[in-house]
Amino acid sequence: MKASFASAKGSGAFAGALGAFRTILRYRKGVFGLTVLVFFVLVAVFADVIAPHKPDEINLAEGYAVPAWFKMFPHYRDLPENVDIVAEGKGWSIRGEGLNPIVLGNTVVLTANGSKRLTVLLERSFDYPYSPPKGFYGALAYNVTVSGASGSSARIRLYLDTPSGSYLLYDSGSIAVNVSRFSTPVTFDARDASLKLALGFSLYDDLGEKLFTEKGAYKLRVIVYLNAVESGRVSVAVGRLYFRVRGLAYGLLGTDNLGADIFSNLIYGTRVSLLVGVLASVVSISLGLIVGIVAGYKGGIVDQTLMFFTDTLMFIPLIPLLVAVSVFIGKSLYLTILLIALFSWMGFARNCRAYVMSLRDRLFVEAARALGASDTYIIFKHILPQLSPIVYVTLVLNVPGAILLEASLSFLNLGDPSVPSWGRMLYNARYSGAFSRLMWWWILPPGVMITLLAMSFVLIGQALDEILNPKLRARRLS
Amino acid sequence: MDGLAKYLLRRAADRAAVLFVALVLQFAFLRVLPYYVLGIDPSFFFMNPNLTNEQRELIRKAFGLDEPLHVQFVKYVLALFTGNLGYSFYTRRPVIAELMERLPNTVVLLGTSTVLTLIIGLTLGLLLAMKRGTKFDTTFIGVSVLINSFPTFYLGLLLLLVFGFYLGWFPLAGSVSRPPPSDPVLYIADYLWHMTLPLLTLVTAGVGGYALLSRNLFITQMGEDYIITARAKGLDERTIMVKHVLRNVLPPVITIVALALPGIVSGAVITETVFSWYGVGRWLFEASTQFDYPVVQGVLFIEILLTVVSLYIADIVIAIVDPRVRLR
Repeated sequence: MKASFASAKGSGAFAGALGAFRTILRYRKGVFGLTVLVFFVLVAVFADVIAPHKPDEINLAEGYAVPAWFKMFPHYRDLPENVDIVAEGKGWSIRGEGLNPIVLGNTVVLTANGSKRLTVLLERSFDYPYSPPKGFYGALAYNVTVSGASGSSARIRLYLDTPSGSYLLYDSGSIAVNVSRFSTPVTFDARDASLKLALGFSLYDDLGEKLFTEKGAYKLRVIVYLNAVESGRVSVAVGRLYFRVRGLAYGLLGTDNLGADIFSNLIYGTRVSLLVGVLASVVSISLGLIVGIVAGYKGGIVDQTLMFFTDTLMFIPLIPLLVAVSVFIGKSLYLTILLIALFSWMGFARNCRAYVMSLRDRLFVEAARALGASDTYIIFKHILPQLSPIVYVTLVLNVPGAILLEASLSFLNLGDPSVPSWGRMLYNARYSGAFSRLMWWWILPPGVMITLLAMSFVLIGQALDEILNPKLRARRLS
Repeated sequence: MDGLAKYLLRRAADRAAVLFVALVLQFAFLRVLPYYVLGIDPSFFFMNPNLTNEQRELIRKAFGLDEPLHVQFVKYVLALFTGNLGYSFYTRRPVIAELMERLPNTVVLLGTSTVLTLIIGLTLGLLLAMKRGTKFDTTFIGVSVLINSFPTFYLGLLLLLVFGFYLGWFPLAGSVSRPPPSDPVLYIADYLWHMTLPLLTLVTAGVGGYALLSRNLFITQMGEDYIITARAKGLDERTIMVKHVLRNVLPPVITIVALALPGIVSGAVITETVFSWYGVGRWLFEASTQFDYPVVQGVLFIEILLTVVSLYIADIVIAIVDPRVRLR
């Protein structure tokens, strides 16, 4: 292992990294850490494949849904999953007298000409096999075309027929003009207060519970009334009806308060944490390296000034400052990364400086100087390669700190709100009642992921440290 | 004694420099950067779209935003040091008054947790050093790696979930019951009951590092020649440990505590927020989400002041336990 480190000096950083990588595998904790890290990297790379949804998709099921696999247990067996009903075109059973409906793709066109009144029923039956849900929602697309003499009108109503009764979900009212609701279908939602009141329930009732009281056959019924005056013509095209009973059991880890898939969020969070950890570590190491080399190599007043700022920054409480700063300066992921890096380079700069100082007066440096080598040449050719072991180790060991800090900031709601990070998931859990609902499947996974990811870097870093820096072993313990 | 005074004076200058740089940073980040670079006006809370330009100027003037930057900075620092922290935009109360209500809670929580962490960490370190190489030792090292990878706020959340929500043994939020018990003994008991979980969080998060550190220091010291001499002299183990080993281990440990102080203050912001502790850290968090400039500035100042003062106390303690530093 000494050999691989020595060769790193000669053939550049890449070979050094490769050598370090090979030596990690000789240590058990290094192997373990690397395995976990590779797992996370794979998850991050293939997040789009693994996660069933995008992290910003909401309303996938009822908020606070439990994981779908809970249904294996008797207590949860009857819990409703999402019931999706799509009725269009030939999927309807159409009834109505004296009528020849035209079915065009997903559209049913109903027409009445010249002083004629028609009532057409479009029905779609479905089976509801679960215990009562909390809510449902849906959308209906239709088009009304009125032509000829004025006075013709149409009316569209949507009913839900349950074993206990029939409920009016939507009523268009009488329409005597052209209306197109194909691109913007009409929607109805069980959370809608006016719908609750119109159906005779109180504002605090869940319509799902009231309407889907028992298992059995349910029916969605669209009634189209066509009323054509003399020489008038009215035509209604009924498009797609979408109806969903929001499930109370969904996905691998259930849903959050907005009905977003927790599992998908968890998967996408890997990207954020890895990005923040690695990027912040790289930036802070670069800063520390520059300050450390300059201070250590130049010495004198430059050294004293730089070290004064380093020490001072080290003594300023980081999170209070970051809290204040990130609120006033705005929330962006890259700003967070920059701020984390800006306040975490000090320890490395000190280490680096001490090491450079010890190198500065070595014989090979003096020899180079005697031969007329410039400072830049000496720094890049003689000093920097010698620093590579501590750079690698600190690069790895700085990552967990950045990951934990980002998670903490996101947990304080100071992260980028558009980014699905693990800390943000925990913030949501804390402030939307996951705790009082005892939703451990929401609370545990993000923390476990943060811990595992941070731990993998710690283990790799420790293995690297033991291999590359036998002399610096004491530092590892601080 | 002359050396001690000189040392303490030099340290005081160092710590004052920390405070000064922190103030400059605070001023740059909270005043200069948002207003002069990003164009966020701290007086927007008082701005009404219907105001005329003259009225806007008046409001800006009231905030001192019309003056040149260096004048603003001097006024700012003077105001901070004379205890004039302004009025909260949100509650319209003097910041200093509200601060005095909350500061004791933070100091009690942080003080207790630091002392406890230190005691438990040192004891554990000693225990580990005496049993080095055993299964107990290796297990503990493994566990401490795990705890170090654990975000503190998450540890707090888990404790809250298990002991607060599942088992219901401890309160879910706050630092005293509402209404607080009138009997002083009951009041203290109630306060301690509320403090248990945050304290447990802070201590658990901190103890592993100290234990490992002091373990290694103990092991190094126990292998020194003077310990062998002491043993050869026939001193009993207890005396060797307390008089010789512990005395030599303390200075580096205190230095580490001093270095960890900013982290302790930082950690308190999160822990106080998790447990809704009525302290300064949580206030900072709440105030920043409410864009309450005076409170944020005031609390940040107090937290930095707290850190610097604790650092200086650590300096004094080190000077007492380790006379060598006076000569440096």
